[in-house]
Amino acid sequence: MTTTRLSFACAASVAAVLAASAPIRAHHSFAAEFDAEQPITLRGTVTRVEWINPHTWIHINVKDPDGNVVEWMIEGGTPNTLLRRGVDKNSVPAGLEVIVDGYRAKNGTNRANGRDITLPGGRKLFLGSSGTGAPADGRDPGEKK
Amino acid sequence: MTYRSTLPCAAFLLIGVLALAPVRAAAQAASPTKAKAAARSWTPPKTPWGDPDLQGVYSNKTITPFERPAQFAGKAELDDDEIATLERQAADRSVDNRTAKGTEADVTSAYNEFWWDRGKKVTTTRSSLVIDPPDGRVPPLTPEAQQRAAEEWKQPIYRGGGANGRGTDWATDRSLFERCITRGLPGAMSPSAYNNNYRIVQSPGYVAIQIEMLGGTRIIPTDGGSHVTASLRQYMGDSRGHWEGHTLVVETTNFTNRALYRGAAENLKLIERFTKVDPNTLEYQFTVIDPTTFARPWSASVPYLRTDEQLFEYACHEGNYGMEGILSGARFEEARKR
Repeated sequence: MTTTRLSFACAASVAAVLAASAPIRAHHSFAAEFDAEQPITLRGTVTRVEWINPHTWIHINVKDPDGNVVEWMIEGGTPNTLLRRGVDKNSVPAGLEVIVDGYRAKNGTNRANGRDITLPGGRKLFLGSSGTGAPADGRDPGEKK
Repeated sequence: MTYRSTLPCAAFLLIGVLALAPVRAAAQAASPTKAKAAARSWTPPKTPWGDPDLQGVYSNKTITPFERPAQFAGKAELDDDEIATLERQAADRSVDNRTAKGTEADVTSAYNEFWWDRGKKVTTTRSSLVIDPPDGRVPPLTPEAQQRAAEEWKQPIYRGGGANGRGTDWATDRSLFERCITRGLPGAMSPSAYNNNYRIVQSPGYVAIQIEMLGGTRIIPTDGGSHVTASLRQYMGDSRGHWEGHTLVVETTNFTNRALYRGAAENLKLIERFTKVDPNTLEYQFTVIDPTTFARPWSASVPYLRTDEQLFEYACHEGNYGMEGILSGARFEEARKR
């Protein structure tokens, strides 16, 4: 994926600061919107991306244990930042299979924040590999141990 | 005009001085003495009509702490090793925090770093953006301001959420930032987690500052005129500028009682100083004066580094599902506790 490679090249030297240590936050409170007691992992297929401010939303279809297809919405970063990293609304095509790690919305709807988004092969969506600002989690076969 | 309105998307193809901005920032960090000497010997350009030329696109993103951390107590300037350590520690914490999954802190972090644009490095050799008081810390609130803050918590709607609103009864309980309204001043001029770009454009008698985060443009007259009548109150106040040598000095008053900045509101007088200190650096200093809130005035200095990036629109109301999620989430939790 060209955009992935580009974003990797641009971000390869990132020495990232984590939010927990930084005094500055997102435009709105994630702790008020999403539930720390409901971490979730979703495997689904992208149906569309809402490329909107203040945050992007990725829609995915997820099969529940009974085989029914359930739609989930995943809150992503702001379009401005993503565009600067080489990602645009065409970078996440419909039909792409993804694994989302995040937290479910407190209101009990099928919404979550997209803490990490990974392709089934282990490659992180948007990231390409380690060293790009994504903390290592062992999923990406390319990441340094 | 020397100001470039747009630049091609293929920013990596740019050559010349703009592309060197990040390198220069690193060089400054590595060699503070040299950078200071260069700043002294450099004369900023002027506009065709004779004002100092501040125009361009700048970013103020930084990992330099706003207030001096305890680890650097008594130390205003960092050496090369300390800067390297600070940047490395930041990277290390990023990895460690992965173990915090399932905690409130992790939810607050929200994303991995790809989603953010906080900057990667310090942008000054100082240990804090706060430069006065000398300890690099914002002075404590006056007893009056503490009392005000306590009452604000009881009446969040009266204050319109201010800068710190955390109630969840209705949207007006939330902060003006969350509501996509404003970060006020000097909040709107301070670094954030992303959208840290600013564009300055000048014409005879005016300086305009376009702000990427939440959008909006400050249009500042530079004729040294007086403020509007005291009864006229605005979230961004009333800004009046004049030139002192190479420096644009802006005084802002007439704030509302809602655009809270660290507890300061309608009594805030803000003095800002914009000085081009080298071709790639606009030094932005501000002084907060509000005896009803702080025991003494205090000041911060934030480097604005020239960037080859563009500003993009941040139409914050476009899809602010987050607000809906916050309020409906609170209702859901209330029902669960009943």
